[in-house]
Amino acid sequence: MTPSSPHSESDLLATRYPLPATSPLDSFLAELLADQQRLITPAARASAVFDAQPAHLRGEAFRDLIPLTAPGPGEQYAFEVDLDSCSGCKACVVACHSLNGLDETESFRDVGLVLGTDSCGAPFQQTVTSACHHCEDPGCLNGCPVLAYEKDPVTGIVVHLDDQCIGCSYCVLKCPYDVPKYNERLGIVRKCDMCHGRLAEGEAPACAQACPTHAIKIIKVPVVSEATTPLLASASVPSPAITTPTTRYISKKPLPTVLRAADARALRPQHAHYALVFLLTFTQISLGLLIGSQLSALNSQLLTILSLAFFAAGLGASVAHLGQPLRAWRVFLGLRKSWLSREAVVLGAAFPLVALTAAQPWIPNLLNSLPFAPPAFITGLLASRLVPLASIAVTAMGVFCSAMIYIDTHRSFWRPSQSFGRMAGTVLIAALAPHTPSLAAFALLAKLALELSTLRGDSASARLQRGPLAPLVIARVFIAGITLPAIFHLPSLIFLILFALGELLERTLFFRAVDSPKMPGVPTS
Amino acid sequence: MVKPTLTSLLRLRAHKGSMTSELVRNPADHGLGIPQVPSRVAPVATTTSVCGFCSTGCSLKIHLGPDGQALNLSADENYPVNLGMACPKGWESLAVLDAPDRATTPLLRNKATGQLEPVSWQVAIAAFVDNFKKIQSVHGNHALSFLSTGQIPFEEMAFLGALFKFGMGGLHCDSNTRQCMATAHVAYKQSFGFDAPPFSYSDFEESDVLVFVGANPCIAHPIMWQRVMRNRRNPRIIVIDPRRTETAMCATDHLAILPKSDLVLFYALAHLIVKKGGVDESFITASTEGFEAFKDFLQAYSVERASEATGLTVERIDEIATLLADKSKRVSYWWTMGVNQGHEATRTAQALINLALMTGQIGKPGTGANSITGQCNAMGSRLFGNVTSLLAGRDFAKPADRDFVANVLGIDPAVIPSEKSWAYDQIIDGIDGGLIKGLWVIATNPAHSWIHQNRIHEIRAKIDFLVVQDIYHTTEIAQMADLVLPAAGTGEKEGILINSERRLGVIRKVRRAPGQSLADFAIFQLVAEAWGCGDMFRAWSSPEAAFRLLRETTRGQPCDFTGIEGYDHIQREGGIQWPFTASEAAVSSSPERERRLFADGKFCTPDARSKFFFDEPRAPAEVPCPDYPLWLNTGRGSSAQWHTGSRTDKSAILRKLAPLSQIVEINPLDARRLAIIDGQSVTISSRRGTATATAVVVETVQPGQVFMPMHFAHMNRLTFPSYDPHSRQPSYKACAVTIVSA
Repeated sequence: MTPSSPHSESDLLATRYPLPATSPLDSFLAELLADQQRLITPAARASAVFDAQPAHLRGEAFRDLIPLTAPGPGEQYAFEVDLDSCSGCKACVVACHSLNGLDETESFRDVGLVLGTDSCGAPFQQTVTSACHHCEDPGCLNGCPVLAYEKDPVTGIVVHLDDQCIGCSYCVLKCPYDVPKYNERLGIVRKCDMCHGRLAEGEAPACAQACPTHAIKIIKVPVVSEATTPLLASASVPSPAITTPTTRYISKKPLPTVLRAADARALRPQHAHYALVFLLTFTQISLGLLIGSQLSALNSQLLTILSLAFFAAGLGASVAHLGQPLRAWRVFLGLRKSWLSREAVVLGAAFPLVALTAAQPWIPNLLNSLPFAPPAFITGLLASRLVPLASIAVTAMGVFCSAMIYIDTHRSFWRPSQSFGRMAGTVLIAALAPHTPSLAAFALLAKLALELSTLRGDSASARLQRGPLAPLVIARVFIAGITLPAIFHLPSLIFLILFALGELLERTLFFRAVDSPKMPGVPTS
Repeated sequence: MVKPTLTSLLRLRAHKGSMTSELVRNPADHGLGIPQVPSRVAPVATTTSVCGFCSTGCSLKIHLGPDGQALNLSADENYPVNLGMACPKGWESLAVLDAPDRATTPLLRNKATGQLEPVSWQVAIAAFVDNFKKIQSVHGNHALSFLSTGQIPFEEMAFLGALFKFGMGGLHCDSNTRQCMATAHVAYKQSFGFDAPPFSYSDFEESDVLVFVGANPCIAHPIMWQRVMRNRRNPRIIVIDPRRTETAMCATDHLAILPKSDLVLFYALAHLIVKKGGVDESFITASTEGFEAFKDFLQAYSVERASEATGLTVERIDEIATLLADKSKRVSYWWTMGVNQGHEATRTAQALINLALMTGQIGKPGTGANSITGQCNAMGSRLFGNVTSLLAGRDFAKPADRDFVANVLGIDPAVIPSEKSWAYDQIIDGIDGGLIKGLWVIATNPAHSWIHQNRIHEIRAKIDFLVVQDIYHTTEIAQMADLVLPAAGTGEKEGILINSERRLGVIRKVRRAPGQSLADFAIFQLVAEAWGCGDMFRAWSSPEAAFRLLRETTRGQPCDFTGIEGYDHIQREGGIQWPFTASEAAVSSSPERERRLFADGKFCTPDARSKFFFDEPRAPAEVPCPDYPLWLNTGRGSSAQWHTGSRTDKSAILRKLAPLSQIVEINPLDARRLAIIDGQSVTISSRRGTATATAVVVETVQPGQVFMPMHFAHMNRLTFPSYDPHSRQPSYKACAVTIVSA
């Protein structure tokens, strides 16, 4: 409701309640409305005297919450949560939001609930507060293509560089605890930095200082190479082996060994990442067509041009995935660890080769027109064999990197058989269809079987595909069903369109149905 | 989306830039004694203001920008209540003021279109006066009524009560504190002679045995629980609740009794304490009356009878009685809505009071029979609502009290009615019976919160003119109104809230109210002028002027706070508990920061003795049966939600901390039997209506019982309208339902 002027009411109402032109109430009302808008300015506020409090007194208050000295060699900072003190008030989440000036829905800390039965058979519930675990082997850091994460060599705090981030969200997929969150306004992700600036000044992190029962502390922990103890009862939290999280959850009471997250059964269809759906599907079809063009002399020219078109569309779409595409020139920085960086660099290198392959008929002429033209057999070989083979090899490497991006998240739905199987399947079908339709049809059936195998069982992905994503599954199967006869009976261009459509649906499911490990949440409805 | 700068774009590693600096916190260079905050929200000054959600009464340090507008807040570490802490609602109490559905202009229902349409204040007030006067002239004074709130400062409550009863000639009015604190009010008034919660929060820290009954402070009053956690006496914490709540988890002992068996349990415990020699004879003799009759009455309450009623073992009950009878221990009893909202609530509360009295566990550190209040100003409403009691806890029926108040307010005693006001449920009956035709609803949402909610919707047509005064125009009741008056919220106005431990705290105006919304105080001033009784309220020129006037009404009452100078005095002292008399102030203007009552063993009755009240327990009017085989229990769902959610639903961050729609908690055994799986949609039905919810299968509710949080719109379609006969508080905690897959 927008504020309306005092005279905007309809005539109807005005006539129902006739008022004298100037009612004695008017001036009183004007006075009240003016008074309502009047605030005491800080300068005039006598209460400022209450504010003066020496900073060192405040430091006293945090003495029990943060270590007195920085971590020594072989140590790092970590959050310690005393479960016996945590009563479930959730002030930590909101204090993080408020004291760090975060956006409306943003907080770097979250709380959830685990449920079960204790050793005496009594019902058990426990609130679990969690922020970034400042892992010793951080998935986010390892996956970042532009090195936008740093692990502080002294404190061990995993810091995100907001101005370095390109907004690819790969860290969101890499973190088993769902810690980094994409911020639409900024086009980057942000995450907890353990309020390292506060720590440096002797102030406790926002969450720790806001906990009414002092359940959250910063402690120093020895650096270990690989964690084996889960944060809590293993069924309720992701495996610690992936990233070696440092948070310690402590309790004097023995915690039940079997616990479940209160939102364990909640179905959370994941982001579709359509730009990536197009990137993956189209670069893989492109590779398939490229291979197809070498298998069959028939239409090879058309196939290479189509291959280039798919490749270009895929790469173009991928740019739309980034929150900060202008920063993406740094994507080579992460080559050492990040499969995303590798994919970007390799597919980036493959593109000119694919373009050259498409331009293959014109290469000899082009070379021959040079003043020092190489011998014709060399130009011929280069154009007809070397360029296509090189582009196939490099694009295949790129597709391999693509699959590894997802495998490296350690998510069960993106296990190697699924990631490789689906991506290689797309390549294979596209490659075989122009040459040996029967084999292509067989490959499509096999790929479909691989996909549908994930519908069985009680995994999150299976439940998602049988539940909220069922329409997408049905659409995928339907399209595959009409693609199969199309391989044999319809013009190849129509087949290609149907096939691409089916693969886009499959890849959408690949993203939407993925299991999304995280810390326990609250019951959702 | 934010565009990066060129320099940050070109660097190989951008450690700095506009996005980085957004989150860089200023080391405490503002010198205001507040935590580091990003420069975007760095304040130039601070002030303090008490939180406007629950009765804990935490002080918040408001961070102010140069124009005096609040930018942010942190918790106030100098305040004796919260010691630098706040719960999620407190942290977000400014955010909820920014909601897009704030009422910013009066809205009048256009009879032609049926729509609520923006009108000027002039038209709105004319419509108010015109319609209400018409109703009054045709149907009489009883035909007007208001339903008010525990959420506004007491000066506003008193203004409303005085305006309605003294100025407009109204008779029957009530407040939503009927739904939360009426039981404690009546129980204390009968037992102690005055509605006087005896404790201070320091008693949480000073106690050896804390008994929490029907209370879940871990999530309902987290900052009170903070005080329990500060207890260094290694206390036994006994939680009596059918559910294994967050607080039960944190307790040393959880008595998961069967629903509605608490009164029998308390009588059996009293019986055992007598047998174990736990009675404090000297206190009984000096300070109480009626113990012998109580002792005789207890003969019928054997431990076996309690065991059968509660489902606890005889040994367990005996063990607890031994603890409570231990004279070397400081024992305190704390209760909330699990007691207050029952069909025999007053006697249940008094059963706890009796336990404290008979063992002499009152008036000393770490003791007391202590009602934890619900709303931020329930205590203000109990004292100054002018609803059941005349101002300052006085009696409408007593001519001397009427004369006293009339004298203080400078009005004719004849305008003060001697007639007792109808209670909330009687007002609803009055509407249904055609006696009440005009209703004014202030800062409450009965279309959601009233027990057996459907009835509110059914009787809406019988209200000729419904005025709703609220900060949002989207509450269920505002949507049903003929006239919506836009109010300013806590943070946009000044006044006093009185918390659970009788502490007066100041709320400050630190935000400009949106559009043409006005403080409730100003709306009442406007109505008084337009009604033609403005002269009666000339002295009520501002909230603080009204405070000074109302202060005088307390003179000589147990709640006497004539020693308080004004708002700055209260703020300077970190809040001031009543009583604080002028004669105490003459000695020192700084009262002790945490005080309890009855240290001298003198109560507020004419003979200064407290009284034992007791009655035979009665079965609830509705119990599970083959058609409706499950008990439905209701209550607070999370620390991030408040009542009907009209405010807390406006904070995106609070919404992340709780389910987004109605849930129902059900035990795995029942779920299996009914083939209900976790997360599925179910339909819950009672004899009164149905509601849908998402099933949460959880062991913390007992088999045969289900629990639904009260914050979602349809839960009260199910509840059974039964009321405690003394307090007329609705019994929200027990009715019979059935559940099927939706």
